[in-house]
Amino acid sequence: MSFLIKKGIISCCFVLMMASLMAQDKYFTKSGSIQFSSKGVIETIEASHRSVTCVLDSKTGDIQFAVLMKGFEFRKAMMQEHFNENYVESDKYPKSEFRGQIVNNSEIDYTKDGSYTAHIKGKLTLHGQTKDVEADGKITVKGGKLLAASKFKILMSDYDIDIPGSVTQNMSDTINISVNCTLELLQQ
Amino acid sequence: MNKKRIIIGGILLVIVLVAVYGWYQYTRTVQGLTNVRADFSVNATELINEFVSSEDAANKKYLNKILAVKGMVKNVEAAQYTIVLGDTSDMSSVRCVLDSSANTTAGALQKGALITIKGAITGFNKDETGLLGSDVQLNRCVISN
Repeated sequence: MSFLIKKGIISCCFVLMMASLMAQDKYFTKSGSIQFSSKGVIETIEASHRSVTCVLDSKTGDIQFAVLMKGFEFRKAMMQEHFNENYVESDKYPKSEFRGQIVNNSEIDYTKDGSYTAHIKGKLTLHGQTKDVEADGKITVKGGKLLAASKFKILMSDYDIDIPGSVTQNMSDTINISVNCTLELLQQ
Repeated sequence: MNKKRIIIGGILLVIVLVAVYGWYQYTRTVQGLTNVRADFSVNATELINEFVSSEDAANKKYLNKILAVKGMVKNVEAAQYTIVLGDTSDMSSVRCVLDSSANTTAGALQKGALITIKGAITGFNKDETGLLGSDVQLNRCVISN
């Protein structure tokens, strides 16, 4: 009997220890930001999002982003309406996701303050289409927090997003994306 | 002669009106929500439950609508202009990003206070990791009381 209890306590301790170890590997934010822009002949189309969810597992280098398409804010109302209704069809495809990995994760020391270059490879799902994406980013470790920043480009045509003929002049197929997140250690 | 003038004048008037309307549409900025009436008034916890039990049904009901959400302030992330509403015992929340014109009031809010926030719902971010909690998100928010 006492052996069983002992065994129970030990396995409980083990589970708790594992849980705390696991928790300390993960960093997250729910208020990351993404900006995108597309340079046209007449003007630049710009939008920003301030509720980006990101989870980074420092042990494996797995990194995930999730963003609700309707949360992109434009200055001009018409652009915002067209973006939602005609381009990304946010009623049909409300969410965009990136799942990937920091390829050179072993080069990043998450326990030491400093700035590191991260090479990221993964899959971006947007407008119902999933495509491989590669990007370079910077991870800055500072006081237990991570500042993650990256700039990369995607093509609208890769994601089945059509530009109506009447506005091709004012929009380029290339979208510049800039990601900025401050990740905190996930406490449980 | 007179008839011709009227026709030309009429055509010009139509062109001017179309141009004015087009310019108005083109330059129209996203409106603030202070004076907009909410389509739905809901409790934060009830709203979360609706999305948790059926995301599709809740999306159909709420997306593209303006919501007035009443709830307890769980957290204030002043640097991110975000107010988090919901029950502290639950990981899920309603996350409200304030309109840039309303930024100044975020820091003054106390945790635990019961408030109503009006905002545009942007959807439900379902958490698949089981670590973060699923959230309903609102943007362009203003504090309505």
